[in-house]
Amino acid sequence: MKNTIKIALSLALVCSLSYASEQFAMSDADREMYAEMLEDNPADIMVANGGELLEEFCGGEAGLAAFFKISEDELPAYIAGFPRYLEEFKQVVGLDQALQGLMHKNGHKPFALKSSDMFDMGSYAKSLANGVKLQIDIDANKHMKEAYALGKLTFEQKRGSRGLSCLSCHSPQVIGGILRTQPLPDIGSNGNASAATWPAYRMTKSSLRTLQRRFQGCMNNALLAVIPLGSPEMVGLEVYFTQEAKGSEIAIPGLKR
Amino acid sequence: MSSRKSLIKIKPNSYKDGEIVKVSFMVMHPMETGMRKDKTTKEIIPAKYVNSVKFEYNGKVITTMNVWESLSTNPVFTTYMKINGEGKFSVTYSDSTGEVHEKSMKIKPKG
Amino acid sequence: MQRRDFFKQLGAVATIAAISPAISFADEAKKPKGPNDLSFKAALDAITGGKGAVESSKVSLKVPEIAENGAVVPVTVEVESPMTDSDYVKAIHILATKNANTRCIDVHLTPANGKAMFATRIKLGDTQDVTAIVALSDGTFLSASQNVKVTIGGCG
Ligand code: HEC
Repeated sequence: MKNTIKIALSLALVCSLSYASEQFAMSDADREMYAEMLEDNPADIMVANGGELLEEFCGGEAGLAAFFKISEDELPAYIAGFPRYLEEFKQVVGLDQALQGLMHKNGHKPFALKSSDMFDMGSYAKSLANGVKLQIDIDANKHMKEAYALGKLTFEQKRGSRGLSCLSCHSPQVIGGILRTQPLPDIGSNGNASAATWPAYRMTKSSLRTLQRRFQGCMNNALLAVIPLGSPEMVGLEVYFTQEAKGSEIAIPGLKR
Repeated sequence: MSSRKSLIKIKPNSYKDGEIVKVSFMVMHPMETGMRKDKTTKEIIPAKYVNSVKFEYNGKVITTMNVWESLSTNPVFTTYMKINGEGKFSVTYSDSTGEVHEKSMKIKPKG
Repeated sequence: MQRRDFFKQLGAVATIAAISPAISFADEAKKPKGPNDLSFKAALDAITGGKGAVESSKVSLKVPEIAENGAVVPVTVEVESPMTDSDYVKAIHILATKNANTRCIDVHLTPANGKAMFATRIKLGDTQDVTAIVALSDGTFLSASQNVKVTIGGCG
């Protein structure tokens, strides 16, 4: 209990935390209305654009399957296993980095990880696995084990002038608490299943964002130094989030506040 | 590139002649109100919003819209339409700075 | 400001407030003027030619009670209508009563729509009523309104 109060106090310094949740509780009808918005997700435009980019720069699904040395039929399940250790990279990479490798192999200058073209193309590629369950294997090899451990460390390590970690706001103890009118989300498979629902259209930003880009948003707000996209820590965090949401069905693009 | 900035969706995917289907048009557009300040330069961002949208089906006007700046960024327009033979469904839209674009989709009823 | 002027103004505001209690003059003073600014009353008059609209259960207006984000508020309007050449919904107007320009969109339908429905997403600067005004082919007007609470904040 004492611990919760301490966390609440340090949070209060960044944003105002309150547990007076009923004031902002959404009705089921409201929640349903927001869920229905997924049918016409503005990010569908960006994902469609991503499909054309994949065709143009990566040879489409056939090109992607060939790059992974699998058949096109195996592609969805394979994509659902990212982040993965890839021999060509000698490290654990996200799907976006794999696409960079393929672009390079095809003689194109790879899109930057933070470019909207990469967000579009990466989202399209991940959407090929829509309906498939996240099936990351963190015990597949020592690289995956290390990536998971680094991700967990990054999630739990207190940083910044407020001494906050991701865990401060995303631990089971605080889920559902209200921070500046927003409920603290459950990132795991029983809640938002973040790794299965990002990339998503971020309504407050009017744009398509990736999971790693979303991590940066929280880092910014909680006054933690922002870690670059694609760095081992970021990929580790993605591995950690994917493990937390393992078993959830991929549904890309998501739609978030 | 502009054709990639918008999308027409018809639901369900496959439909019969005479069926009433849901049509959605989505477009990437800033929908700037002209009353917002740029956070860094502190200058007012000039207004730029979609101001008219027209749905046509084989040259016949189905729905027209006058649009104002209060629609959300990357707006979505959804209504119904009765399928009436093979042909083309097209959307023409313009914005307050005078840009005009068109997007279209083939209509192919099954049976 | 002179005390008397102040009361005169207050009186003027009060008459407006009687029609649309949502207007608060503190807000009005803060807002920069936009080229399309139009009050709810003026927009209603323009749409209905001064006739006004009758609240009707034939118009179903769906908006969230609490919007999780004022920049993207879903709105769906559905009207009971046969949508035949002789009896159809001519237009659906969506108004945000407290936005500086109260008009969001005017949708002109035809019998070829088959069903009278329109859905979109709007920006709401503040907690306010959203109103749908529906023009029928017989020249009459129906309406429906609902309040939307707008919350702001969040992290990231
Ligand atoms: C100060 C509290 C706080 C801290 C610290 C914090 N978050 Fe968050 N996070 C939030 C809140 C609140 C939301 C929901 C905000 C919203 O809906 O706008 C959120 C949302 C998220 C989401 C989106 C969840 C979803 O699927 O909708 C992700 C991913 C996330 N955080 C990751 C992280 C990571 C990684 C860290 C550490 C680097 C972190 N957060 C640190 C408060 C925090």
